[in-house]
Amino acid sequence: MKNLTKLLSVSALLAATYITTPAYAEDAPVCGMNSGQAATGDPIKVGGINGNAPPGDFSGGTDAAAAYFACVNANGGINGRPIEYIVENDQWNPELAGQVGTKLVKDEGVVALVGNGSVVSMAVNAKLYKDEGVMAMASACAISDCYENSNIVSTNQGPLPSGIGALKYAVEELGTEHAACIGFNIPNNGGWACDWMNKYMESKGKKGTSILMDPTAVDLNSVYLQALAEGVDTILLMLPSGPAIGLLKVAEEQGGRDQFKWVSPTPIYEPGVEKVIGDYWDGHLYVNIELAQFDSKGADNKNWVAVMNKYGKEGDRRDTFSQSGFISAKFFTDALLKLDAASIDRASVTKAIKGIVGAKSDLLCGAYYVGEADRHMPNHAGRMMVYKNGGFETVRDCYDIDTAYLDPIRAQEKALGITK
Amino acid sequence: MLKVYGLFLVSGLAVGSLYALGGIGLVILRRSTGVLNFAYGAIAAVSAMMCWQVLQWGAPGPIAWGIAILVGVTLSVFYGRLLAPSLAWREPAVKAVATLGYTLILLGMVGVIWDDSPRKLVLPTDKEGVWILGVRVTVTRLIAFGSSIFVVFAMIQFLDRTRIGLNMRALADNRDHSALLGIPVIKVETMAWTISGALAGFTGLMFGDLVRLDPTVITFMVIPATAAAICGRLTSLPWTLIGGLSIGVLEAMLTLYKPLAPLRAMTPFIVAGCVILWMQAGQRLTFAAEE
Repeated sequence: MKNLTKLLSVSALLAATYITTPAYAEDAPVCGMNSGQAATGDPIKVGGINGNAPPGDFSGGTDAAAAYFACVNANGGINGRPIEYIVENDQWNPELAGQVGTKLVKDEGVVALVGNGSVVSMAVNAKLYKDEGVMAMASACAISDCYENSNIVSTNQGPLPSGIGALKYAVEELGTEHAACIGFNIPNNGGWACDWMNKYMESKGKKGTSILMDPTAVDLNSVYLQALAEGVDTILLMLPSGPAIGLLKVAEEQGGRDQFKWVSPTPIYEPGVEKVIGDYWDGHLYVNIELAQFDSKGADNKNWVAVMNKYGKEGDRRDTFSQSGFISAKFFTDALLKLDAASIDRASVTKAIKGIVGAKSDLLCGAYYVGEADRHMPNHAGRMMVYKNGGFETVRDCYDIDTAYLDPIRAQEKALGITK
Repeated sequence: MLKVYGLFLVSGLAVGSLYALGGIGLVILRRSTGVLNFAYGAIAAVSAMMCWQVLQWGAPGPIAWGIAILVGVTLSVFYGRLLAPSLAWREPAVKAVATLGYTLILLGMVGVIWDDSPRKLVLPTDKEGVWILGVRVTVTRLIAFGSSIFVVFAMIQFLDRTRIGLNMRALADNRDHSALLGIPVIKVETMAWTISGALAGFTGLMFGDLVRLDPTVITFMVIPATAAAICGRLTSLPWTLIGGLSIGVLEAMLTLYKPLAPLRAMTPFIVAGCVILWMQAGQRLTFAAEE
């Protein structure tokens, strides 16, 4: 009887272990060499610059990269060498952006920058990166300077592909004929993206109208009325989530939900937004997302969650930029692991990054690559979601966009053998 | 076309009333204490954020709205009683610049307490509205508009008919002489900071609801509010009201002129600049009441 009890206990324990082990294995972070041994060698300096001050916090990319690198360091580092990740905040100040860029690139001598998320720094330091031969694997770009530079490659799409992705869906599924692109009056952001939206609409035999506003504009009601006066049938909210929500509120006041089709690029897909939008918009707000859904069951997405849970800090953002920073850091680590640890320097790292071709992740719809080029935009295919039942539901899985802006990008992809 | 103008007129009046409310708060304080309070927007921002926070904690609406006003009063009186007296004898420009420091402190504090996650402040009055010239105007907008007119009327009565109002006017004319006459300067100034703070709290509440709950945007509403106050030469409440409403309407109307539509945020600067130039023509200094 005693032995039977012991046998049953052992069996129960084994059964419990069998049942629980896969769950634990599923949630355990997987990083770099995944050796479980902390790296103790000579550190490899890597930089990151974010913008975190009013009016916005773009630190999600560097937060996630920091978490991933901490995980890498706890798991053998880069063949025994830990990554010393130095993050600076430029506070959206161009002068400070120049100072921290110089500090990281010249004084600290970082081998690369990863997870960058400051549009100010991108514009200010683009030339510095090029002159110093250092690569920036950015994660939170939103301006043309980010995508039209030989030494910056961003994992996030930015407003242009995501906005056109949203319009493509609107044209094909919602019957859009005339769309208003409401964006900020910033030449390399709203002006740039909305111009290409209009070109896209023209290429489809439709009409596009830019409605640009100052980032601090108060009279959102007039912006809405301008769209009404233009006679558009679709509104593309090319705005950060705050002003976009403000405009949705104005539209709700005016009963504008059914007067237009409402589409948006990624910014509205942000944790917490679903609680703010309100039932009024249920089934009427469509959002294009640049990376995978936050609750995606893909291996990399689950690993992102696991890494952030174990190595992230309290208060770290868990948004699209965070996913983007995570996957940038992963691709960077994978590239460095192929190098001889003893001879890692800026030149070898830049070469290794430019040598990334066809990297895959379930966070991205297409293959990631860098290559030797004067511009980079590896991520230009996304997914479409609709706001429904207090959350977002997928209405179209991975699809690419067709715009003349991507012509040089398509040529690169062909040359690198990514597409035929 | 007339209907389109009507749309933007109504829309502009709604925004203009918010500028006017801010301007009135600035003028009331400026007239009594000589301080042009650039921290007015930041005080309004903290008030709006606290209102949202208290609502998140599950408090009933009226309590949250009351707290917004209370926070405005507290922050305003804190500066007025603890910091402003040490600058009482400095030039008006120094007094004004000092409030910029307070603005940065408050803005930094907001950044530390609240991240920039999306938020929305909703009032029950948002649900109801009336159609005016083709625009649906919510009761909240009507409250903002009505309040700006009511506050001007009430403050004129208060300044003309009450003892403390008389004291405020005396202080506005000459602080030194008022003190010699036995006017309780600190008490009167505290009252002015209280009224201004309450107005800042209310303005923050309206801005957070009608524009967006973004501390930076609310903080910088002090710019159009200052422009409105300049229209009233920093002394006249009715002209401040007219200035605020005019800026709002002009800003909205520019939407109709496509080349200038993306630049219409400059309207307050242009209006303020024109008014200052006009005032300088009369050789009257803008900020130096005692000169």
